[in-house]
Amino acid sequence: MASLDNKSPQEISDLLDEYGIKHGPVVGTTRNLYVKKLKEAMAKGKKAKPSSDKTYYREEEEEVTYVYKTPTKSETSGDGGPYMRSRREWAEGEYGHDTSYSSYSSSRPEYRGRDLVNEPYMYDTPSTYSSNSYAKPTPMKSEPEKPKAQKSSRLIPLWLQFVFFLALAAFLYLVFSNMETNEPIQGIV
Amino acid sequence: MSTTSQKHRNFVSEPMADKPVTALAGIGDRLGHSLMEQGYDKAYVVLGQFLLLRKDTELFCYWLKDVTAANSKQADDCAQCLKEWCDAFL
Repeated sequence: MASLDNKSPQEISDLLDEYGIKHGPVVGTTRNLYVKKLKEAMAKGKKAKPSSDKTYYREEEEEVTYVYKTPTKSETSGDGGPYMRSRREWAEGEYGHDTSYSSYSSSRPEYRGRDLVNEPYMYDTPSTYSSNSYAKPTPMKSEPEKPKAQKSSRLIPLWLQFVFFLALAAFLYLVFSNMETNEPIQGIV
Repeated sequence: MSTTSQKHRNFVSEPMADKPVTALAGIGDRLGHSLMEQGYDKAYVVLGQFLLLRKDTELFCYWLKDVTAANSKQADDCAQCLKEWCDAFL
């Protein structure tokens, strides 16, 4: 526990806000009182300091956006915070199918295996900074992740999607094969 | 509805002017002496502290019990007294 006595009034004020303690100005007469209140709140673990969770979250966010910045370099030279968001989602679509994207967006805070697996790998790329070496290993990396991603919850089961896909392909084939044409289509019917 | 003491009613009925701290409800001789030692010799100084704590009675009780040997009832009486005074005159 950081020594509260060494903190500036502003820091005390911020800490009070974190614990949701309503307070007035931190001056000579009130400081002692607020320090005591803070110690009580810390002992109780009131609200578990939500800001610390936020920083943790932000760190992950920073890491991921930093990681995904490398592929964009090959395409565009621009960079920006909100831009990274859309880029990341686009990269998601590139790796997996739509189903994995929906599951990803729903379980975003959990960062399913793929991101965590990608992160240590991506750390090398900023130093090497070549899009080629980046492009190669990712297909290999994404494959073992695909079965992992499949385990995540889906609205429609994967096998059912495959069935639909095959049914649709068969239907289209039938339609195509029964088309009437003047000249015979070779190699198909 | 809690009954208020005569002291409370007296204090809340008019501007406090230069009334001593012992004029506050809940503050007797012992507590008054303790407060005066710390520089809170007049009621308005204690009012100042009350206002610094944003007129929050809970915080004020906490503070008063911290700087003096006040018990919960005394602190509560004092806080209520100040709060009503503020509602009327501030």
